[in-house]
Amino acid sequence: MSANLFQNMSTSDFSLHLPDCGWFPSHSEHSMTCPAPKKHLTTKRRFLLLCASIAALYPIVRFVGYSIPRKPRIVEIASPLPAGGFHLGPDFVLFDTGTDAWALSRKCTHLGCTINFHEKDNLLECPCHQSRFSKEGLVLHGPAKKPLPRYKVERLKDNGGYIVII
Amino acid sequence: MELIRKTFEDIRWGEFSLLSLYISVLSGIIVGLQYDPATPLYSVTTLDLLVPFGGYFRSLHFYSSQLFFLFSICHLIGIFSQAQSYSDKQWVMLTATLPVALLILFTGYVLRGDATGFSAGMIAEAILLDIPFIGSTINNLLFSISDSGMKRIYLNHIIGFGLLWGWLAWSHVKKYRVAFNRHIILSISIFLFSVFVTAPFEPDHLGVTHINGPWFFLGLQELLRYLPPLLAGVIFPASLLFAIAYLQKKNSKFTLLLLFVLSWLFLYAILSIIGLNR
Repeated sequence: MSANLFQNMSTSDFSLHLPDCGWFPSHSEHSMTCPAPKKHLTTKRRFLLLCASIAALYPIVRFVGYSIPRKPRIVEIASPLPAGGFHLGPDFVLFDTGTDAWALSRKCTHLGCTINFHEKDNLLECPCHQSRFSKEGLVLHGPAKKPLPRYKVERLKDNGGYIVII
Repeated sequence: MELIRKTFEDIRWGEFSLLSLYISVLSGIIVGLQYDPATPLYSVTTLDLLVPFGGYFRSLHFYSSQLFFLFSICHLIGIFSQAQSYSDKQWVMLTATLPVALLILFTGYVLRGDATGFSAGMIAEAILLDIPFIGSTINNLLFSISDSGMKRIYLNHIIGFGLLWGWLAWSHVKKYRVAFNRHIILSISIFLFSVFVTAPFEPDHLGVTHINGPWFFLGLQELLRYLPPLLAGVIFPASLLFAIAYLQKKNSKFTLLLLFVLSWLFLYAILSIIGLNR
């Protein structure tokens, strides 16, 4: 029955009745009109683009955000320090009182500048904003609020030197 | 006063800026052939002391970059009245080139890896990490010195920020052609100045009690003494950028915004002077 109905029609007869729906050609079987006004399509398109952008950005953000685990760095100081002496490395300052040895990070807990040890005043000071720390790493003067991190120190038995584990 | 304004506006700041940029990019490529971001301090020291003409090309790169930024600011002031016909989008994109140019300048400063450069980079990282929710991601994209050393800073200095600047400025700069022979005096001045004045370099040494960041960072460094990093390092500078982005005469709050921008700059200048004299 339906075959008889359409047998005398050409394909152009069908295409003449198809409306131009622009970017989103979702013609329904029951309705030969556009499913929504163009403004709605634009919003839909933008939403899809936003979703696609987020989907594309997510792996990038995860990729750059991953910190490759760093191996503990072992720094060897070959010779012993005199009692009350200190050793200034690029990343730490090592103190030895004769009975106790410890190392402090040189990264200021305020904003990360490299601090220096002032032997004369017996304290550590940040050159950027003049935060001051005691030899034990405690805050003496702000703007820093947190103490300096300590690194593990081991004495070498053979030559009296040290190993600092960062 | 009118004569000064007219004379200032007639100077071709935009062309000067573009010319300085060309010299900066070319000298940057030359410097990059010997620079290694894995060993920044060693690289810059060898550039200055061992590599033939290394110090000269580093100076040329440094001073032409500084001039590029300064001329860009002059250009913005000089064409301000003419630029009122720009669309909002054009204006925002063009004013956004200034902070991007500043970031290129800043990352170049950090890449020296000396006492002040490294500290400035660490401060920038600490500021970014203080931004809630997205601070860590932004830091991972731009700096991440603690985890990656100079690797990402270097990448952004030579590619990332350059591409961003180009994208923001392209619709504007593509209209202009700058020929060296039209600016012979400026070109020769930059080349000669770099022969006689070396680019700054401050290696770390024992007992340093005070270090100053780059000239454009001084006010911020001083403000960080009194305010939390998020307020001093993000909200305060961002307020200026937003104010400039909306600073068009057609805006009903133009006078208020202009007053804000001028007050901001005045305050920043005072902070910079205090920082400089510490």
